[in-house]
Amino acid sequence: MKTIEIIVAPDGNTRVETSGFTGSDCRQASRSLLQALGQQTSEQLKPEFHQAATEQQQRASE
Amino acid sequence: MSHIVEIQTEIRDAAAVREGCNRLGLQPPSEGTFKLFSKTVSGLGVQLRDWRYPVVCELNTGKVQYDNYQGRWGDPKRLDEFMQAYAVERAKLEARKQGHSVREQQLADGSIKVTVQVGGAA
Repeated sequence: MKTIEIIVAPDGNTRVETSGFTGSDCRQASRSLLQALGQQTSEQLKPEFHQAATEQQQRASE
Repeated sequence: MSHIVEIQTEIRDAAAVREGCNRLGLQPPSEGTFKLFSKTVSGLGVQLRDWRYPVVCELNTGKVQYDNYQGRWGDPKRLDEFMQAYAVERAKLEARKQGHSVREQQLADGSIKVTVQVGGAA
């Protein structure tokens, strides 16, 4: 299941976490939400990102 | 791929300001010129509970202007509440516009979690 979780802290700042996406879909799916909310201060890639990237590289080299 | 992004909230959407006020039981916001203690500013004015002067949202810059005299003319917690209400409503409005289903949940630490199911029916 593809989900985007937005945790809004009591001071209004937010943390957006995407799950279940493959490839660059997560960035595409969350782009409008991120832009709507404000200024991005940091980005952290989850382990699945590296997994997906490695799989893509392997497929590309086959 | 999946990722986590931290965002500093900017107030740029009038509809979400309205929804945020509604959520907190405040008067609807009004567009205009407002006098704070020592200056006059224009934008979308929101009257927070027990604040002497309104908080004025400048939608083109995303910033808010206010003078609460370091908390003596208005509890900063009320402003935090408003920022939170705005962000929750803004996220919900945007997700629905994209055709996604949305669920909201209050967390024990005071945060609010909005879960957007991408491609899922409402």
